[in-house]
Amino acid sequence: MGTKPVRKHSPLLWVYLVVLLATGTTMQVVLEGRLQRPAAKPGVHWIQSPGLMRRLTVGFNAIWADIYWIRAVQYYGDTKLSLDEKKEYDQLYPLLDITTSLDPYFNIAYRFGSILLSEGYPNGPGNTDQAIALLKKGIREQPNKWQYYHDAGFVEYWWRQDAHAAAKWFLEAASKPNAPNWLEPLAASVLAEHGERDASRALWSTLKETAEHDWIRKAAERGLMQLDAEAHIEILEPYVQKFFDKYGRFPKGWQEMTGGPERWLRNLPRDPAGYIYQLDPVTGSITVAKDSPLFPLRRRIRG
Amino acid sequence: MDAIRTEGLTKHYKVGFWRPRPYVALDNLNLSVGQGEVFGFLGPNGAGKTTTLKLLMQLIYPTSGYAEILGKPVGDVAVKQRIGYLPENPYFYDNLTAEELLIYFARMFGCSASEGRARASRLLDEVGIGAERRFQLRKFSKGMVQRVGIAQALINEPELVFLDEPMSGLDPLGRREVRELILRLRDRGCTVFFSSHVLSDAEALCSRVAIVAKGRLAASGSLDELTAVGSRGWELVVSGLTPDVLKRLMPRLTRATPLGDGRYSLELPPSTAPEPLIAELCGARVVSLNPLRGTLEDVFVEQVKATGSGARLMEKVAS
Amino acid sequence: MRAIAIIAGGVFRDSIRDRIGYGLVFFSIMLMASSFLLAQLTAGQDVKIIKDLGLAAASAIGLFIAIFFGIGLVTKEVERRSIYSLLSKPVTRTQFVLGKYLGLVMTLLINLSVMAAAFYGVLLYLDFTTLDGAKVAWEAPALDPRMLKAFALIGVELMLITATAIFFSTFSSPFLSVAMTFAVYIIGHFGEDLKNLNAIVKSVVLPYITKGVYYVMPNLTALDVKSAVVHGLPVSGSSMLLATASCLVYITTLLVGSILIFSRRDLK
Repeated sequence: MGTKPVRKHSPLLWVYLVVLLATGTTMQVVLEGRLQRPAAKPGVHWIQSPGLMRRLTVGFNAIWADIYWIRAVQYYGDTKLSLDEKKEYDQLYPLLDITTSLDPYFNIAYRFGSILLSEGYPNGPGNTDQAIALLKKGIREQPNKWQYYHDAGFVEYWWRQDAHAAAKWFLEAASKPNAPNWLEPLAASVLAEHGERDASRALWSTLKETAEHDWIRKAAERGLMQLDAEAHIEILEPYVQKFFDKYGRFPKGWQEMTGGPERWLRNLPRDPAGYIYQLDPVTGSITVAKDSPLFPLRRRIRG
Repeated sequence: MDAIRTEGLTKHYKVGFWRPRPYVALDNLNLSVGQGEVFGFLGPNGAGKTTTLKLLMQLIYPTSGYAEILGKPVGDVAVKQRIGYLPENPYFYDNLTAEELLIYFARMFGCSASEGRARASRLLDEVGIGAERRFQLRKFSKGMVQRVGIAQALINEPELVFLDEPMSGLDPLGRREVRELILRLRDRGCTVFFSSHVLSDAEALCSRVAIVAKGRLAASGSLDELTAVGSRGWELVVSGLTPDVLKRLMPRLTRATPLGDGRYSLELPPSTAPEPLIAELCGARVVSLNPLRGTLEDVFVEQVKATGSGARLMEKVAS
Repeated sequence: MRAIAIIAGGVFRDSIRDRIGYGLVFFSIMLMASSFLLAQLTAGQDVKIIKDLGLAAASAIGLFIAIFFGIGLVTKEVERRSIYSLLSKPVTRTQFVLGKYLGLVMTLLINLSVMAAAFYGVLLYLDFTTLDGAKVAWEAPALDPRMLKAFALIGVELMLITATAIFFSTFSSPFLSVAMTFAVYIIGHFGEDLKNLNAIVKSVVLPYITKGVYYVMPNLTALDVKSAVVHGLPVSGSSMLLATASCLVYITTLLVGSILIFSRRDLK
């Protein structure tokens, strides 16, 4: 007549535990599929005031600046990649403002931030005012950093097409310590109207050479390709005009130019990224395709 | 030179937040303890015993009055080299072992690490801590902590030792051991000042005692002096006492205790003279007759009652 | 002096045996190591965030230890009454306070060194695994010795906070002491805002008060060079010395105050 050893818990409890865990996990998975994904907005729980944020994080501003920088980059990426009809980048500047208020020397936040802000819609907010405001903020903190002046000039030239303002920025950049020696010639060629595309090309090329980060280098390469596309379009336009002169209408598509007795074009014209240009049969204007990575080209200065 | 001397030592506390009233913890204590004595400092709970010890150790500061240890005012650092102190309900450092604690204290007296270790070892043996000395103090029972407490009080081989409730937390064997230790200290010439509310310990050990109640000194002197105040009656042991004789004698007795075998212990109050009673025993034989001396407990209770009830009450200071 | 050293040694031994202390330092090292993951999100700013996180972790953990352990130094002994037997030995209350302070400072500085070593270890790994081309983007080298300046000043700040914690704990409850020490830390970092409150708040009297507070309280922003060393900006030795000297004056004041208050106190 032996006695059973006293067990602490019934083994059945373990079975219950496993079953409950499995049920819980399954329910999670089911719910995931059913629930709608929330929109990629940072949400209103982030504090909006740079001053308040700076005071709240006393002693640890730098690490919070990093957090806000990550947030800004994520926000930009999420918005750009989202499937929304209308993309809103309105939180981008506040996030960058807080980042640079928390760490006023946060170089990349000013420079790359201004690139992101200027980027034309739908790839970015296309807000050159904000981009220049951000760079001016950087200049207030570090008045001798020639790169900020250069970047401001860039925005003026490339996005706002204001050659005079751009040249002023480049000259001011050239006067700062350690400034490279190509800034003055750049300012000059910017002002010379016939040198417009060359100046742009020079700008992008030097940016590509001196880029401190991969992302900036890629942006520069893209800019150069866009310039090539512009040049390409300028070559194509007279041919389209010739078609119009002959037939009294614009071509319905590129096939009419490559086929037919005249054979004005040998192949379908592709942009430097490999995408076929878009021809508008009504107005005859040529642009890069919407799904090309070079879209959109900036508004071109004629001539 | 007295080992300890106090003059008018007084401590008032302010109690209450809005209208603080003074609370008399100790009132005008005049005490002297000679070298080599074992001095019992007795009183009910809350009488001011621990307050007095804390004043002597300069853990608290007197409102007025003066106290001296080994001829120097309390707090003198050189004097601290020669004294030891066991606090009431002692607590030490949980993460140290018993050995480490004693060595830590030993080093404060200028011992080297090795000498500290030797002394610690010896003392731990003396207080009955064996292999547990390697365990951290957090694992010690109350009785063991008490023993360690006694050991640390003796780490510097002091001339004068202050023990606050040294028997607290100890089992009867432990109490016996501490009693023997105190006697050994006395034999070595050490002065022992200990406070207690357990009177049997005082009776067994002390040469002189002081009784405090409600912050005041109620009585002090040698044991003989105190207990000699008045005889308390007689104890008459008789045999062969018949029940009806007992019944007749009962009114004049305080108590009659049967001892078995027909023997009785009869307690006579001081008012009853024993001789006439013996004459009325009617055949019962007298085995012994002894005067009853007062116990210390009697003295104690009497003195405490004289100063008011034993419980602490709030009191206004007489201006 | 010997008594001070013995008590300091006791504090140090306490801290080594304290599991919480270990856990905190271990946690900060883990944080530094895991900063690699965060670095992926920063669009090429990996070295910056690793440095920022490492310095912030060392500072925060050190602060936590300085405040909580600092306040416990005196209050635990008094509350638990272990101080009764201690003060019956030939040790004065002055030596007690100084010994406790020096013991915790020693502990903090050693912890800080361990965290600095882990910090440089993580950066060494980063340096080793990053291509030279990417390193061009770094404002300062990964293994920049100038960051030791930041660590040194964090050490000074912790010494000051410890003294503050001890000071408050000599006369007020643990909870209040923690709150007031934190307040000193935060006010010390507000720095400029306090001085120029009239630029922010429309009040006549308040800016004078805060300006007074600014000059009386230690200015901890002078000790915060974390951002400067991460960006490779210069930190002058003379400014470091001046800030340290001023802190030493504060520390001495606080310790003298603590000793005065503690010496007169009844230890109930």
